Amino acid sequence: MPDSRQILALPVVLLLLVGAILPLTILVVISFWSVDFDAFELVPGFGLASWREILGNPTYPYLIGKAVLTGGVTTSLTALAGYPLALSLLRLPKRWKSVALVVLLTPLYTGEIVRIYAWRLVLGTDGLVNSLLMGLHLVDAPLKFLLFSPFTTALALFYDELPFMTLALWIALERLDMRLVEAARDLGARPLPAFIRVTLPLTSTGLCAGALAVFALSAGDMQTPNFLGGPSGATALASIDNFFGTAFDWPTASALALTLLLTLIVAAALLAAGILRLGGRPARVAR
Amino acid sequence: MSALLTRRQTLASIVGGVAAGALSLDRAKAAVSELVWATWDSNAHPEYVDPFKKETGTAIKLSFLSSEDAQFAALKTGAAKDWDVVNPGLNGTWRYIDAKVLQPLDLTKIPNRQYMYAPFKDTDKVVGKDGKTYAIPYLWGLNPIVYRKDKYSEEPTYATLFDSKYKGQLAMRDYALESIAVAGLFIGVPRDHVFTMSDAELAEAKKALIAQKPLLRTYWQTIGDLTNLFATNEVTCAFSWRVPFDALRDKLPMGMAKPKAGIFGWSDCFAIPATLSDDKVAAAHAFGNYLLGADYASAIAEIGNYATSSNIIRDKLTHEKQEAIFVDDLSVMNSFMWPVAPPNYSAWLKIWNEVKAA
Repeated sequence: MPDSRQILALPVVLLLLVGAILPLTILVVISFWSVDFDAFELVPGFGLASWREILGNPTYPYLIGKAVLTGGVTTSLTALAGYPLALSLLRLPKRWKSVALVVLLTPLYTGEIVRIYAWRLVLGTDGLVNSLLMGLHLVDAPLKFLLFSPFTTALALFYDELPFMTLALWIALERLDMRLVEAARDLGARPLPAFIRVTLPLTSTGLCAGALAVFALSAGDMQTPNFLGGPSGATALASIDNFFGTAFDWPTASALALTLLLTLIVAAALLAAGILRLGGRPARVAR
Repeated sequence: MSALLTRRQTLASIVGGVAAGALSLDRAKAAVSELVWATWDSNAHPEYVDPFKKETGTAIKLSFLSSEDAQFAALKTGAAKDWDVVNPGLNGTWRYIDAKVLQPLDLTKIPNRQYMYAPFKDTDKVVGKDGKTYAIPYLWGLNPIVYRKDKYSEEPTYATLFDSKYKGQLAMRDYALESIAVAGLFIGVPRDHVFTMSDAELAEAKKALIAQKPLLRTYWQTIGDLTNLFATNEVTCAFSWRVPFDALRDKLPMGMAKPKAGIFGWSDCFAIPATLSDDKVAAAHAFGNYLLGADYASAIAEIGNYATSSNIIRDKLTHEKQEAIFVDDLSVMNSFMWPVAPPNYSAWLKIWNEVKAA
């Protein structure tokens, strides 16, 4: 007999079923269909042509691998920057914390396109950074790699996703009993070992939450690489968009979307498992 | 007497019948108080369509399109039931015809067709396999190479877009159809064959595009994006639309090149969905006729800098205006290429994905 809390969850479960599982099932089915390009009709059936194209053409495994790499790099960079930032926020007087929270989230209030064009103004040939470098005679010509390169994509994604990681880590740190860290320091641990052996394991759930959010958002971002990555801005998502919209090749789009989704789920699961394993070690240290 | 009465009665019946018929026609006409036109926002400012309401009493309600693909999908899936007139691009009209989402037009109800320029009037791209006409091109323009005049000593050609001398200053559109076709023209494929390239030619075009990648500053996504790239000195030459030229010509020395190898044209068509109810068909045809008439042509030339496919007002325009809308020298129409989605478009898309990922 389900209790009342389980009953309350029913609408959400139904929504998930209808909103996620049903479309995915449709994608699976369509991925085996073909297209009659003369009549622009999807032809039901069972064929493997789309799957052969996606798994056999090295372009698509490359693009999917690139999505995983983008997610992994952004997650690592935001975690590295997020911990010092969250630790600083933790030490703020209480009345300043709400101000800090608003400031932390401010970039998210602007739209993605606004941020993208702002990056162009900052990093462009005539942009702020190049003007400054040239004004100080540090460079003779504008640094072109600052804009429209993998560096730009990585920087913009790092900036976009940092609030998500910092917020998750901040919440985890707020729940951390700082006396444990102090005890480690009293027993002779230097700051870095104390962080690695006490703080990191005890905030691993926060790190995991932040990492999953950042990984999903950055691996699934299409606009930032498209508008800032220049010739290197190709993404699996843009290919899916092309197949669905422009080419009316829904079976290939479905096969690519499903392969990307499965790969990202497996990568995210491995990432989460790896981070949560960190949490097993502090118990022994604490005892 | 009785015969006279009969004649009177007969006459009265005829008059009554005609009157009743006329009244019912009036009612049918009055019933079409509004037509919904699915089109691009730039084709349908209120000033462009208001005269049609004054002329016929039928108001034009606008439903703006987000993309050609979305329009096709809406018609195909039946999600566009409220659209009375639609706007397929000339290059893709065939797929609308093949998908049977348009109804054949009654050309006798569109007398302004007589004023159309021959390349538009005679195009077979709007004719179905049954010989019937399903769409009429009404508006057109060119997609030129836009460039900075101060950076190029000669007018650019498609070869300029592949020239390492201009590394880091060039841009191509992130769009398989046009970019692969430009590469086709660059490797020497004739313009009338470029959208039906063989596999070997496609492979050559792909090689050229991969070699071009390091020369590009970026692939532009939207025309606003490209205008911004010109304005901020990121790009000095690009396969483009005319928008950056118009937007920046007062601030920067902008040029517009129309390569002789072939000029990409675009043309929007008037068409009627297959599902349009019979009582609206006559009004829809009247609107098609309006789009080829003088009021629409004058308004869109004056405000939007676009030319219709009709020559009805050409001789009344100043030379500057004719030049602005590309009708000063009609020989330009000899170099037209109408981008056509190739039958193996999915293969083109795959090549484009490979180029982008290379």
